[in-house]
Amino acid sequence: MRLSVRGIGIVGAFGTGVESFEKALVEGQVTVGSIEVATGEGVQAVPAYRADTAGLEEFVPKRSLRRVDHYSKLALLGSFLALKDAGMLDSGLSRVGLVIASGYGATATTYAFLDSLISGGDTCASPTHFANSVHNAAAANVAITLGIRGPSLTVSQFDMSVPSALVSARQWLAEGRVDTVLFGAIDEVSELVAYLQHRRRGPRHAPAMAPLDAGAESSIIGEGASFLLLTRDEGAPAYCGIDSVETGNLFGTQLSLPSDALLLLGADGRSELGRRYQDAVPEGAQAACYTPIYGSMPAAAGFDLAAAALALKAGRAFASPAGPGPFVPAPAAVSRICSLRLAGPSEYATIVMSKL
Amino acid sequence: MIHWPVAITGLGCICAAGGTVPDCLDSLYAGRRAPVPPTRFSTSHPTAFPVFEVRDFREPPELLRTSALGVQAAAEALADADLSPEELRGLRVGVCVGTTVGSALNDEGFCRAHRAGEEPDLFPMERILNSNPAAAIARAFGCTGPCQTVVNACASGTDAVGLAASWIRGGICDVAIAGGADELGRITYHGFISLMITDDSPCKPFDRDRKGLNLGEGAGMLVLESEQVRARRGARARSFVMGYGSACDAHHLTAPHPDGAGLRQAVAEALACCAVAAERVAFVNAHGTGTPDNDRVESRVLAELFPGVPYHSTKGHTGHTLGAAGGIEAVFTVACLERGVVPASAGFENVDPELAGEPLRGNREVAGDFALSQSLAFGGSNSVLLFGKGDAE
Repeated sequence: MRLSVRGIGIVGAFGTGVESFEKALVEGQVTVGSIEVATGEGVQAVPAYRADTAGLEEFVPKRSLRRVDHYSKLALLGSFLALKDAGMLDSGLSRVGLVIASGYGATATTYAFLDSLISGGDTCASPTHFANSVHNAAAANVAITLGIRGPSLTVSQFDMSVPSALVSARQWLAEGRVDTVLFGAIDEVSELVAYLQHRRRGPRHAPAMAPLDAGAESSIIGEGASFLLLTRDEGAPAYCGIDSVETGNLFGTQLSLPSDALLLLGADGRSELGRRYQDAVPEGAQAACYTPIYGSMPAAAGFDLAAAALALKAGRAFASPAGPGPFVPAPAAVSRICSLRLAGPSEYATIVMSKL
Repeated sequence: MIHWPVAITGLGCICAAGGTVPDCLDSLYAGRRAPVPPTRFSTSHPTAFPVFEVRDFREPPELLRTSALGVQAAAEALADADLSPEELRGLRVGVCVGTTVGSALNDEGFCRAHRAGEEPDLFPMERILNSNPAAAIARAFGCTGPCQTVVNACASGTDAVGLAASWIRGGICDVAIAGGADELGRITYHGFISLMITDDSPCKPFDRDRKGLNLGEGAGMLVLESEQVRARRGARARSFVMGYGSACDAHHLTAPHPDGAGLRQAVAEALACCAVAAERVAFVNAHGTGTPDNDRVESRVLAELFPGVPYHSTKGHTGHTLGAAGGIEAVFTVACLERGVVPASAGFENVDPELAGEPLRGNREVAGDFALSQSLAFGGSNSVLLFGKGDAE
């Protein structure tokens, strides 16, 4: 069964909404910010793609967001934007299901809960932080705010969260459990994520991501939300179709990739994965990579899907922001894209999308 | 759309009630339970809230305890299904596992050291990143199909089984290992205490004097199999996943909807998708945590949707194992349906006049063909599985 992408809600360092995202993809650049983090050598600024959720005030009164953390705000903003983009803001949501994919969940709130335990002792753990640190807190906040009473699913499969969650979202639609899936990918930059990045990559951080240079250690952490409004493809206007989703483990077997599709690589400057991408892409294949627009995060696969949807709607691919690397550059015209995601020694995912 | 049944050919379980499915069933039918103050971690909290720990189990140092528990339950389930590693290699095997802590970047020692200005060893974080429960099980058994770690709080295990059944129906995989796994640690323990929903004595689901839940840990796994593979192997179905429903309360982050709106919808979906009437349900394995709110809402919904149908909670034997609960209780529901005997609801003594019904006081023989297992979760998630009787032995 083919899915169609009916709406996109997206927020990241590039700004808020489809237009900002498309502009950044066309221009091929985004301003990278930073986050300060305590290290053994004092406070250090770690480069990071930061997202601003101020746009949420267009949809929700500020006072009702007082107890909502940044992670859930990203989810709320992505949800509202996707519904608005699809013209469904005022529609009934009774046949809507909610699927959220996140690699790390609400890490800032998780760390804040630990802080309460460490600084206050075992009797002073914060109930508010604990309740909001649960992985499905963002889905709950979206459901409560929008009144979504259908099925809700949150998946945390690290780098494979997005394709894995998409497998189940597709099944919901195929089996008629729902007519629409609000599908979101979220990850946030937090002190913990930044500290881990600092320890792995510091103290010298790459000034810019070069994901197609397999030998370079150039990842820069990112955050944001990418929401897609998905339905069965029944001929209604949409960005593009999603033809297939496949995930699993290769365990030494050869990856099979479509020969007629532009390969959209999830490489993000981590050299251990960069080599896997280089080995996986057949010689002469056309490939692109857009991660320098949104940064390195497990949920980046959701941003890949949004970028592919925009390219397919326009019928033209965006150039890779950091250059084509060793691959054949993306062609001017594009009608089929295969989003390729690799993780660990053997995990893979392919999502094939095409022009309607 | 009517969903065709998906065969369950193997069961595995490890929890405080026992290290294997037969051990757990022995404990359930004998009414044995032994919650004690935590022994695996320290606490300075003045009240010693009892917990249900898994004894005599040691995880390998490179793996989170959650994932190691999951691997152990999966190994038992695969052996029960008589699926050898050689047979698995020729099949597309998916893994769908529910958890609450198995994928959280949450290590107190690491955080404490970082806060103290040290440069802590990255090993605890690397271990988390290498221990995603579904991925760990896939690695352990060479599974090439889709992997999914479901983090729907306390409904995670139930959702994982329902989703895996859908994968089988959709031809996404031939075999699926599905269930839930969660370990108990200081963070969860003190988090639940902070919410003031834990009982300082052994939990008493549906009892008048219930004060809250006891936490537990463990894993419950099921092997689901396509009819094509099952026919080729001549494998016996111990049960079938008949229906699955899930719905969101859209009400509150931690409290259930007072009318059980989402639970009603999830039950309705689970029955409707396989066209089974409520009166054909032989018994219900309730979520039954022992918290005042949960048991009030659940008993009300059960009384209205399943009048006269016996129900019980097994959390009096296992504690609330959170993301594992749906997997463990699915295993118990299938095994009890197969045996035709439902254990008493441990911890229940006194009828609560504010509740609409009461759970089983003693073990009871049941003759029906279907049984329901339900889970309610933080975030307002409600999930329900309907199981059908399997092939005759």
